[in-house]
Amino acid sequence: MTRVNRDVVVALVLLLFCGVFFWESFNIRLTDFGQMNSAVWPRAVLAALTLASLIYLAQALRGDFRREAEDAESAEGAPKEPGLIAWLASYRNAFYCYGLFLLFLLTLPFFGMLIGGILFVFCALTLLGSMELRLVPIHAAVAAGTVGAMWAIFTFGLRVFLPEGVLISFN
Amino acid sequence: MGFETLIGAFGEVFAPGNLILMFVGVTAGLIAGSIPGFTITMAVVLTLPFTFGLSPVEGLSTMIGVFVGGLSGGLMSGMLTGIPGTPSSVATVFDGFPLVRKGRPGLALGLGVWSSFLGGIISAVILVMLAPQLARIGLEFGPWDFFSLVLFALTITASLSGENLTKGIIAGLLGLTIATIGSDEVNGVARFNFGTDILQNELKFLPVLVGLFAFSQLLSDVRSRDKARRPLMESSAKAVRVEHFAAVKIILRHWINLVRSACIGVFTGILPAAGGSISNILAYDQAKKASKAPEEFGKGSPEGIIAPEASNNATAGGALITMMALGIPGDIVTAVMLGALLIHNVQPSPTFITDNPQLAYGIFVAFFLAHFIMIVMQAFCLRAFLMIVRMPMYFLASVILLYCAIGVFALDNSVFNIWVLFVFGILGYIMKTLGFPLAPIILGVVLGHIAEVNLSRAVGTSDDLTLFLTRPWSLFFLIVALFSAAFPWYQRNVGKKQWTLFYVPLASLALSLPLIMMGGVVRPAIGCLLIAYALYKLYRRHQSGWALEER
Repeated sequence: MTRVNRDVVVALVLLLFCGVFFWESFNIRLTDFGQMNSAVWPRAVLAALTLASLIYLAQALRGDFRREAEDAESAEGAPKEPGLIAWLASYRNAFYCYGLFLLFLLTLPFFGMLIGGILFVFCALTLLGSMELRLVPIHAAVAAGTVGAMWAIFTFGLRVFLPEGVLISFN
Repeated sequence: MGFETLIGAFGEVFAPGNLILMFVGVTAGLIAGSIPGFTITMAVVLTLPFTFGLSPVEGLSTMIGVFVGGLSGGLMSGMLTGIPGTPSSVATVFDGFPLVRKGRPGLALGLGVWSSFLGGIISAVILVMLAPQLARIGLEFGPWDFFSLVLFALTITASLSGENLTKGIIAGLLGLTIATIGSDEVNGVARFNFGTDILQNELKFLPVLVGLFAFSQLLSDVRSRDKARRPLMESSAKAVRVEHFAAVKIILRHWINLVRSACIGVFTGILPAAGGSISNILAYDQAKKASKAPEEFGKGSPEGIIAPEASNNATAGGALITMMALGIPGDIVTAVMLGALLIHNVQPSPTFITDNPQLAYGIFVAFFLAHFIMIVMQAFCLRAFLMIVRMPMYFLASVILLYCAIGVFALDNSVFNIWVLFVFGILGYIMKTLGFPLAPIILGVVLGHIAEVNLSRAVGTSDDLTLFLTRPWSLFFLIVALFSAAFPWYQRNVGKKQWTLFYVPLASLALSLPLIMMGGVVRPAIGCLLIAYALYKLYRRHQSGWALEER
């Protein structure tokens, strides 16, 4: 997918976003108090955003972003070959991080911040770094040490009650 | 009253607990600033969660410590390895690195450290003198003027923060849209909740900010597998003894360069969005033009180190002026500080200094003190920096990602904040990858509420919308917004297209109108000077046959 095509798609997504939000703005309750009702400002912003998105679409169709496209293609980590697999592979680390973070969030009520955090950091270190056996104890130690320290600072130093989870309860 | 407040502020800032926090803050800033890819903004954003349990003075002092430390930290990596730690130290490398390679690393570091210190102190003096004056002007502002000021802040941010103005404007407008999600601040009505309960309340600023900025920045840093596994820096740099006395002597010999660069830094800082990354280049350029030995620039000239380092630290003072005097963040760092003030129920506005004198004086004192701490800590941090840069990026990214989650949870003990962080982390990364600047979107989120509240007040006070054009300050900001929006085109076409010859004279003429409308003596006089300048410029161009300027 070339940069120009990508920018056209982004502009269309933005226009769709404006349309959805504009539609939803009609569900904003109108009050009979206050001088300016609650829908005026969001609609004004959305109108401006729609206009800017249309200009962006026109620029994208005209090929104004060709130089940016070349920069993006030569950037470190950019896909070396065309195709979906290569594209997905170039964002592998981002997918790992978001996937792990989503997993961490979903399991937070069960593991809690301490255990869940250690597991998240350990898995992130292993996936982003290397899965060599000699690095496993280092990653485990870093995960336990840093998360433990953060957990202790927030729990005892700043008196923040971090989620405990059902696995371990300190109360 | 003023003296008692100052003593009170000194007492709070110099309290042992606060001093420890400031030492920790400056040290963290110095180390963060010296790591390429780990920006000052990220350091300040990550400091914010620690400040929830602190008093406003303690929280702000710590953040100022990180800010000042970060601005000075960039010079260490820049000089010793040739890779600037932060964008605000780019110009420092031009002469700092060659001087190190000439065998004078101690002198290069000394020049950098002391220029940062003196530049910061000059900006602190300007901050103390200018902020209350500017706040007094701010008291003249009505809701129309504030609305136009926000518009100007967003426009200039959009035009300066990226190569493409359209993308900058879209980013700013997206920020404004995000700010409308949840409960409406004026009427208390739920907006854009799509029938769900979770979006009944407004989105908290911190999770949005951390998600958009820190999360996306970290993922960009580890995007490439090889880059993620490499040490932060591959260099054989060694700790050196800083030549303090020799450096101070050279700086004092070039005091005009120092003062000029600091003034450039302060002025750039006052402008929304124009931070240290711009001021250091501007100051370097001016220093080269004014130097008696411009041919030495790029070969290790001390003047080439003094200028960028003095200006980038001075930028912090300028950004604080705008925040304290007008309640408008000058950049993302001050937007975060503004967020910190809001968390402590302190509303920055033109009445901030008079309403919270102890806190305002506390900020002044902390800003001064942070520079002294920076001088002390720089030598220690040099060793820490050399150790930390051997660590691979993925270690740092993995740990900080979790820290982001803990930090936003601590805001109000809500797991929902972590979900917001996750969603905006994805959005920020996508936008960054697509070439959208993040500064306008973040400022849009912060300024959205201010804009809406003031628009509502303006409409509530009078139905007459022409007040936006007839009130002098409002007109002033609208004109500046218009010309700042056109600035990228001007910059691209200057020296190529005929119309660019009219840009500066036209801007001067347009700005003279609101200044004359303001009344009094000084402002109309400035307006008349602007008219004279515009006419002179036009006359000179007419004399030269409307020839295009060489660039």
